[in-house]
Amino acid sequence: MCLSVPAKIVKILPDHMAAVCIDGVSLEISIALIDELDVGDHVLVHVGYALAKIDPIEAKRTLELLQALGSTGRELRP
Amino acid sequence: MSFAIRNKIDVTVWLAADVIAAVEILPRARPLLARLFAGRPASSLLKQIPRLFALCAVAQQTALLSAIETARDEAITRTTKQHRIALVVAERIAELLRGLLVGHLAQDIAGAAAIRSVMQGMSALIGSGQPACGAARREATARIVAGLAAIGMPNGDGAPRPGSPLAIRIAALDEIDLKSIRIAHSFLSVADDRNIIERLLGDDPTFCHCPDLGGRAPETGPWARQMTRDRLWLGRSGAVERLKARIAEIVRLCDWLKSGAHIDSAEPGIIESYRLGSGRAATAVECARGRLYHAVELDPQGQICRFEFLAPTEWNFHRSGPVVRNLQGAVLTARRHQKAVRAVIESLDPCVGFTLRFRKVDDA
Repeated sequence: MCLSVPAKIVKILPDHMAAVCIDGVSLEISIALIDELDVGDHVLVHVGYALAKIDPIEAKRTLELLQALGSTGRELRP
Repeated sequence: MSFAIRNKIDVTVWLAADVIAAVEILPRARPLLARLFAGRPASSLLKQIPRLFALCAVAQQTALLSAIETARDEAITRTTKQHRIALVVAERIAELLRGLLVGHLAQDIAGAAAIRSVMQGMSALIGSGQPACGAARREATARIVAGLAAIGMPNGDGAPRPGSPLAIRIAALDEIDLKSIRIAHSFLSVADDRNIIERLLGDDPTFCHCPDLGGRAPETGPWARQMTRDRLWLGRSGAVERLKARIAEIVRLCDWLKSGAHIDSAEPGIIESYRLGSGRAATAVECARGRLYHAVELDPQGQICRFEFLAPTEWNFHRSGPVVRNLQGAVLTARRHQKAVRAVIESLDPCVGFTLRFRKVDDA
């Protein structure tokens, strides 16, 4: 199951890279798959790549859903 | 730390001198979707699916919707089925292209731009769920053709254009690719659907995250589809062959879409639904990374009382599946060391997050 997580872009970097904030964690990701992103935009991130641009409300709902799933998923971790 | 950030598979390669003695795979945490879905109206879950599954979202939605419809004994029209197949195919192309970029062309600025352009063309071609017509169709098609040409997609002879980003990447991969090991390959296909679906809704709760078919953990995805369809195996099964299969499939599916996306000429088994009794059904969808299954059981009020799903990753990254089979016994050299192992893993799915560790048997 390939989950992706919403992130907010905090800085556009050279070479199609960006700094993002995911649930309080800072990361550098590639934005090579998406055109015309700006600081403040929300994107879905998977394996270090921004997959799609989403609106802030959708980002919040998705993060809440993933966090709810995370608490159940941990129960199965060996 | 959030669930998604630690959503990776852990792969440990055990070395005895230069030989891969064993491969251990620790799967990702598996969220309990059934708990989330239980007791909810089936229709409300369809909106949640794209939030959960950003990759292959159309395939996931189609699998759930079709399973629910089948459980309700609702029939769909041929036109609806054709539209759904076209959407699944378009998404498969987009995901295969994404895999090309993530796994192979990430450092190629022009290649990335071309892939973005093709993906936009795909959206324009069938973005509304209806195939585009007239000028819009011609414009989208031209964009796709130009984008594919820019990255060096073959035109019919099956080989990427010499000097193109794809040709260069294949040559580079060939340099480090592990020498193929003689192993018995096994491929997942539509013929396995009934067996899988009955077991998904059976009594074994481990099947959906550690499946097997009579001891087999078959491969699924572009190379498996090519092998199942063409039955032409030339003895090599490395990362290069899987990349070539990915490229060939993009070309073949684009041709199908450009020629009108007719259901009669679609490959078999893209969407297959199975009714398993009153209120119980499942659907298999052939998505980019392989065959995906959703199974549902509805209560008399139409709410979901049981939901199970089986993703392609569970086969390809099975603890005795294709990753393990393709690595175990391989002899590493200085040139073909970590990069070669990583290339084999990524060739099965460039979009799966994983960690890779090497350990020596002697150190255990």
